[in-house]
Amino acid sequence: MSTYWPWWAGAIGLALVTINHTVITDRSLGVSSAWDRVVHWRRERHLEQMDEEFTDDQALAEALAAATAEHFGTGTGASTMTQAPYEESQPLEADIEAAAEDSPAVTNRRPAPLVTQAALLISVFLGGLIAAVTSGRFHLRYDMGPGFRDLVTANPTAMIAVLFVGGVLVGFGTRLAGGCSSGHGLSGCGRLRPVSLVATAVFFGTAVVVSFLLWKVI
Amino acid sequence: MRTRGAILLASIITGLALGYTVTNIGFGDYAELNRMFTFQDLRMLLSFAGAVVIVVCAFALLRVRRTPGRIHAGVIPGAVLFGTGWAISGGCPAIPIIQIASGYLPALVSIIGVIVGMRLCRWANGRYFHLDRGSCGL
Repeated sequence: MSTYWPWWAGAIGLALVTINHTVITDRSLGVSSAWDRVVHWRRERHLEQMDEEFTDDQALAEALAAATAEHFGTGTGASTMTQAPYEESQPLEADIEAAAEDSPAVTNRRPAPLVTQAALLISVFLGGLIAAVTSGRFHLRYDMGPGFRDLVTANPTAMIAVLFVGGVLVGFGTRLAGGCSSGHGLSGCGRLRPVSLVATAVFFGTAVVVSFLLWKVI
Repeated sequence: MRTRGAILLASIITGLALGYTVTNIGFGDYAELNRMFTFQDLRMLLSFAGAVVIVVCAFALLRVRRTPGRIHAGVIPGAVLFGTGWAISGGCPAIPIIQIASGYLPALVSIIGVIVGMRLCRWANGRYFHLDRGSCGL
């Protein structure tokens, strides 16, 4: 008998995590996005510093209007500004456009600070460690367990190669798709976003096909 | 606007709860994951699907704002690559972290792979593919 949680407990747990994060931070939960920003921390930090310089949107708008008036010799009153220094700017702009219809206050929403992304990843490790230790499943191993050994390979070199290639595909794929099982799968599907529904169906369907082809058929 | 401190605290709580939950569901166990993908055991699949249903209902009740999230060019090829990587290595981005936390030391190789893949994606897409990569909106 499995010592893991029954399905309903898992469902409630995952749902509570997603709902709490969304409500408290007003942002979607996305582990691959957190990874991406931490991996590219130099660039993200630089963007954050640039962002902080323009925190006061009103002051920036007034400065732009003054500069425009000075340049063209007329008072335009122009204050339209697109704040999107981050690489993932297009969907954020789309988010902002949609949010503007619901709540003007949300237009000021910026990506979560870089440090919180690092804290999220470290906390996932600590949460996993607590779960493994308290459930008695923590064992230091130099392999990936009997499941991986039986289904994939028992050869250490092949194991390293499979894990590395799999990791590269996951890293590349999640960033190309714009999210992973938490971002698209839980948060995005929870909002019934078409892109997340498509992404989840495709990555889950692909994983099913690959699992059958590689480990069941071959 | 949420303060930085509130977002940081929320992220820490989220991370702890997420790590604790996915470990106890069994997502770090390759055999359990394979049983889900080959439909031999629906427990984990129901956990995920059940969570989505609860989140949909909760977001509707709480009136969490809807975001359009158009289907961008990178979503299909990216999801195919991700699904393949998930099936063969057993780890989506959060899973290698909890695998290491459970004592599976080789999962460090998966993490290195994820980092290499993310850097490669940003470099290759910027240089060659120029696909819209979208974002789940974090």
